[in-house]
Amino acid sequence: MMHAFETLQLAQLAFPAEMNNSVLAPYLFVSAAMFCIGLIGFMTRKNMIIMFLCTELMFQAAGLSLIAFGRHHLGSDGQTFVIFVLTVAAAEAAMALALVVLLFRHRESLSASAWKELNG
Amino acid sequence: MMTASILSSFTSFVSPAMVSDASGDHGGNASAHLANMVEHVGIGPKWVLLIVFLPLLGFVLNAIYAATSNKTKLPAWTTIALLAASFIATLAMFLSYEGTPYTVHAFDWFNLHYGDKSFVANFSFYVDKLTILWMLFVTGLATLIALYASEYMSHDIGAGYCRFFAAFGLFVFSMSCLVMGDNMLMLYLGWEGVGLCSYLLIGYFYKKPSAVAAAKKAFIVNRIGDLGLALGIYLTFVHFGTIQYAELFANETLHNYINAAAVGDFSGIPGEAQWIALLLMIGAFGKSAQFPLYVWLPDAMEGPTPVSALIHAATMVTAGVYLIARFYPVFLISENALPIVAWIGTITAFLAATIGMAQFDIKRIMAYSTVSQLGYMFAALGMLSTTGAAFHVLTHAFFKALLFLACGAVMHGFAGQLDLRKLSGVAWMKGWGIVGVTMLIGCMNLAGLPYITSGFYSKDMILAEAFITPGYRLIGWILVITAIMTAYYTFRVFFRVFLGEQHAEPGEDFHGDDKSDFHPHAPGWAVNTVLITLATCSMLAISLAYIDKAEHHGWVGSMVAESTASFHSPYAGAVYAAHGGGELHAVAGPVGHAAPGTVLGMDAHKGMILVSGLGAIFGVFVAAYFHGPKGWQGLFVGGRTEAGKCRMDAVAKRMGPIPRMAENKWYVDEFYAMVLVTPLRVIAHVFHWIDKLLLDGLVNLVGFLPRVFAWIIRPSQSGVLQGYAVSMVGGLAILLFVVLVVVMRAGGVA
Amino acid sequence: MEQIISPIALYLICALGAAGVALALPRKGLAHTKDKAFQYGGAVIVASAFGFAALLMGLKASDAGNPMPNLFFYPFAFVAIGASVRMITHKRPVYSALYFIMTIIASCGMYILLSAEFMAFALVIIYAGAILITYLFVIMLATQAPTSDNEDDLTDVDAVAREPMLATAIGFVMVGLITAAMFGGIGELSSPKMTQAQAQNSVLAYLPKKVDKILDRAGLLEDGWAVSRDLDTGMAVMDPDARTIQIELAGKDDHGDDTVLATRTLTSEDWPEALAADNLDRLGFNLLNDHPIMIEVAGIILLMAMLGATVLARKHTELEDALKAAQARKLGTMFHDDGEPSGGQA
Repeated sequence: MMHAFETLQLAQLAFPAEMNNSVLAPYLFVSAAMFCIGLIGFMTRKNMIIMFLCTELMFQAAGLSLIAFGRHHLGSDGQTFVIFVLTVAAAEAAMALALVVLLFRHRESLSASAWKELNG
Repeated sequence: MMTASILSSFTSFVSPAMVSDASGDHGGNASAHLANMVEHVGIGPKWVLLIVFLPLLGFVLNAIYAATSNKTKLPAWTTIALLAASFIATLAMFLSYEGTPYTVHAFDWFNLHYGDKSFVANFSFYVDKLTILWMLFVTGLATLIALYASEYMSHDIGAGYCRFFAAFGLFVFSMSCLVMGDNMLMLYLGWEGVGLCSYLLIGYFYKKPSAVAAAKKAFIVNRIGDLGLALGIYLTFVHFGTIQYAELFANETLHNYINAAAVGDFSGIPGEAQWIALLLMIGAFGKSAQFPLYVWLPDAMEGPTPVSALIHAATMVTAGVYLIARFYPVFLISENALPIVAWIGTITAFLAATIGMAQFDIKRIMAYSTVSQLGYMFAALGMLSTTGAAFHVLTHAFFKALLFLACGAVMHGFAGQLDLRKLSGVAWMKGWGIVGVTMLIGCMNLAGLPYITSGFYSKDMILAEAFITPGYRLIGWILVITAIMTAYYTFRVFFRVFLGEQHAEPGEDFHGDDKSDFHPHAPGWAVNTVLITLATCSMLAISLAYIDKAEHHGWVGSMVAESTASFHSPYAGAVYAAHGGGELHAVAGPVGHAAPGTVLGMDAHKGMILVSGLGAIFGVFVAAYFHGPKGWQGLFVGGRTEAGKCRMDAVAKRMGPIPRMAENKWYVDEFYAMVLVTPLRVIAHVFHWIDKLLLDGLVNLVGFLPRVFAWIIRPSQSGVLQGYAVSMVGGLAILLFVVLVVVMRAGGVA
Repeated sequence: MEQIISPIALYLICALGAAGVALALPRKGLAHTKDKAFQYGGAVIVASAFGFAALLMGLKASDAGNPMPNLFFYPFAFVAIGASVRMITHKRPVYSALYFIMTIIASCGMYILLSAEFMAFALVIIYAGAILITYLFVIMLATQAPTSDNEDDLTDVDAVAREPMLATAIGFVMVGLITAAMFGGIGELSSPKMTQAQAQNSVLAYLPKKVDKILDRAGLLEDGWAVSRDLDTGMAVMDPDARTIQIELAGKDDHGDDTVLATRTLTSEDWPEALAADNLDRLGFNLLNDHPIMIEVAGIILLMAMLGATVLARKHTELEDALKAAQARKLGTMFHDDGEPSGGQA
C-alpha cells in the first residue's frame, strides 16, 4: 500500500516519465466503457433530462481519453481540448435544458415520445 | 380462278397490242401525252386559293358562332355565301384555264433537302382539267346542299346548327385539299379530313346509339383503306423519290414503265412499283365503298340527309374514283391493278343492287344504289375508260344528290318516316308536287331511261366500253343485268311512295298522341329551289354528252383528255371512227386498232342503246307491275290498291328465304362480325388481360416494391428520438466493424 | 491487441457487462427489493467486469515486464463505471444526476493519475459545481418529486426503459469494437516528439521572469544579475537539455547607455530543483500560445448559448383579451378610416 502512495506522488513528481502502452490501454478501456454506457442510456431512457445527462457522460468519456492520450504524448493539447469539451458541454447543457423546459411546458411531460408526431 | 380470269382478260387485251404496235408509230410513245401534260406546269394566280380557304373560313366562323351560342340561321347563310363564293371562284378558274396545268403555292409545309434527295410536300395546289371538273361539282353541289340544309336542319337551330355547318365547311375544305393538292400528302390530308368530317356528320345525332355506331363503323372501315393509301404514298416516295404530281408524272422512270406496259411487257417493271397501284386501290375501295369495304356506306345514312347527299353520294365517295383517275399513269404500270378494279367494281355493282331490291328503307335503297353506281365507275376505270367513270361521277352526283334530297324532304315532312310500305301517293299531297316531279326526274336518271336522261348516257358509255374492250364481255352482261335491277328498285320506290292512293304514317320522330292526327309539312322554298336546280342540272347534263362528242366522247371526255388521267380505251375511239365521228384520238393509247367488241352482233354503242335502253324500260315496267298502283299511274300494269300491299309480296313468299337474305344484306355484316370482328375481339381480350395482368402487373410491381420497402422501414421513422439513436449507433457499429476488419487487417495494423 | 488483452476475454467481458446493464435497466412489475437488487447487482456486475478486464490487462503487462497503471486507477475505474451504470439505470432523475457527479469525481481521480490535476479540479468545479446543479434545478422544476419511495408514483417515462436488450447489445458491440480498434492501433502510437526534459522545461525559456525569481530564491543571483534574454524574442537564454542557464549583469557604459557588463553560465550542478515548469504553466502556455482563436470561438459559443437559453426558456406572455381587442380596433381604424363596413371586422 505504501508503494501505491509513492507511485501516486510520483505520478506528479515523475511526470516526465514516458507512459507505456500498457498504462494507456486501461484508461482507454474505461473511456470506451463509459462512452458506450452513455450511449446505452441515451438509447433506452425516455426522460429527456436523462438523455442529456447521458450525452454529458459521453463527453466525459471523450475527455478522459483526450487526457490519457495527451499524457502519452507528453503535451498539453489533450487538456486544452478538454477545456473546449467543457465549453461545449456547458453551452449544450444551457441550451438543452432551456429546450427541455420549453418542451415540458407544451406537453407537461418529459418523455421524448411526446414529440413523436414531429416525424413528419 | 378469279385471278386467272383477270390475268387472261388483261393479257388478251394487251397482247394484240403488243403484236400490232411493236413496230408501229405508237411504240415507245405511249407516255407522250402524259409528258406533254406536265411539260409546262406554270404558276397559277393566287386567287385560286380562295376556293380552298373560303370553306375553311366558314368552318372558323361557325366555330366562333358555336362558341358564342348563336341561335339564328346566320351559320347557314355564312356557309352558303362562302361556298357560293368558292363555287364562283371555281367557275372563274374553269373559264380562265388556258390549257396548261399550273400550281398555286399557299405556304411551305414540308420542304426537306438532304444530300441530293429531297422531300417536298408544300401546301400548294395543282390545277388541271380533272381538278376543275371535280371542283366544279364539289363546290356547286356543296352550295346547293348547304342551302337545302339551312332549311332541313332548322329544327336544330341553337343546338347543333353551328356544329353542322362547321363540319360542312371543314368537309368542303378537306375535299378541296384532296382534289386540288399538288402532292400526295395534301391528298392524304384531304382524304383524312373528309373521313373526319364524315365521321363527325354521321355521328351528328350523337345521342342516338345507332348513329354513333355507324360513325365508328365508317371511320374504322375507312382506316383499312387509308392504311393502303398511306403505304401507297410511302412506296411512291421510296420508288420515285417524289410525291409531287408535277414531278411524279414527269418522272423518266415512270415514263419508261408506261412505255413498257404499253407493249405488254411488265417484266421490266419492279414489283415495288406495281404495288403502288394496288395499295392506292385499297385506299380507293375504302373511301368509295367498294366490295369488301362497302359496308360502312349504308349505315352512314344515320347522318342528316344533306350529309348523305353531299358526302355519301355526290362528293366524298367519288374520291376513290378521283384517286385512281389522278394516278392513272401509276395504275397503267401495274399488271393486275386495273383488272381487279374492274371486277371489284362489277361485283360491287351487282351485289349492292341485289340488296337494294329487297330493302324497305328508302334512304338505304338510295345508299345501296350509290354503292352500286360507284361500282359502275370502278368498272369503267378498270376498263380503261376514265372518261366513262368521270362522266358517270358527274351525272351521278347530280341525280343521286337530287334523289337523296327528295327522300330527305319526305323523311323531314313525315316525321322521319322512311319505310316505303307506310307511304303512298306523296306526289299528290298538297305542296309535294315539286318533290314528286323532281324525284321522278332523279329516278329516271338513275334508271337510265334512254335519250331523255343524262344517267343513260354516262351508263351507256361504261356498258359499251365493257363490250368493246376484249375480255370484259362478262362484266358487260353483269352490268346490263344490274342496270335492269337498278331500274326496278328505283321505280319501286317511286311507284310505292309517290304514286297511288294517298296514305302516310308518321315516323319515329312524331311526338303527338294520335297518329291519325298527323299532318305532313310540305318542304319550304329552299328545299324546292334546290330540288328544281338539281333536276334541271341533271337534265342539262344530257347536253354534255353532245359537246365535243366526236373528239372526246362529250364534254367530260374533253376535260379528262386534257389531264394526266386521259386514257380511254382506243376501241371506243375506233367505234367513233367507224361512226365517222372523226379521227381516233390516240392519247397514250397503248394498243392499236384491234377489232372492237360488239353487242348482239351490233356495234357496241348502237347495240347498247338498244340493250340498256330497253332493259331500263323493262325494269320500270316490272316495278310498275309489282309495285305500281292501279290505273295510269301504274302504267296500266300495276295492281296496287293499298299502301302496304303489292303483288311482290306473293312472289317474295314463293322465293323462300332469298328476299329475307337480301333484306339482311346477304349477312355480310354478320359474316364480317364472325370472321373479323369476333376473332379480333377475342385477341383484344387476350391482349387486354396480358396487358392488365402482365404489363400492368409489372408496372404495378415497380410501384408496389417501394411501398413494401417503405412499409418495412416506415416504423423506423417513429419520431421517437431513441429509435433514431439506435439506428445511428447501429450504423456506427457496422461502420466501425468494417473499418476494423477491412481497413486495419488490410493495412496490417492489427 | 494480443499484447494488451486476449480478444476472447475482452468479448466475454463485454457480454458480461451487457448482461449487467440489461439486468439493471429499469422495468416495471418487479418487487421493490428484487428491483433494487437487480439495479445494484447489475451495476456491480458491469463495474466488476470492466475492473476485471483492467486487472487482466495489468497482469498481462506485468507478465511482459511492462509497467502497470497506478493502483489507485482500479478503484477510480470501478467507481466511475459503476456510477455511470447506476446513473443510466436509476429510475429517479435526481439520483441519476447525483451518480453522474460521482462518475465525474471518479474520473477526476484518473485525471490526477494522468498528471492533469488542473483539469481534474476544473472538472469538479465546472461539472459537479455548475452544470450538474443546473440539471438538478431543471429536474426539480420539471418533475413532481415523489413524496415517498413508492415506485408507483413514477411515470412510465422514468420507470420503463425503451428496447433495453437491443440498445444494450448494440452498446456493448460498440465497446468491443472501439476497444478492439484502439488496442489494434495502440502499438502504432508514436513516441513523444520531445525529450522528457524538453517536455517539462522547454516552456521555461518563455518565462524569464519566473526563472529569475526561482534562481533568486535559490540564491544563485547576486545583485544586478539576471537571466540573459534573447534580444529578438525576449526568451531566456538557457538549454533545458543540458541544464545550463546564461546569466548576465546589466549596467551603463561611459555614455550612460544600457549595456551588458558581464555574463556567466550556470552549469547543471547549479540547476535548482525548483526550476521546473508545472502543469498549469504548460497548460496555460499551450492554451494561449497555440490556440488563441479557439478561445475566442469558445467564448462566442458560450455567449450564444446564453442568449439562446434565455430566448428559449422565456415564458411567452399572454395578452389579455381586452387588450388584444383594443389593439385590433386601433389597427382597424388606422387602415380603414374611410368608413368601409369591413373596418370594424377585426
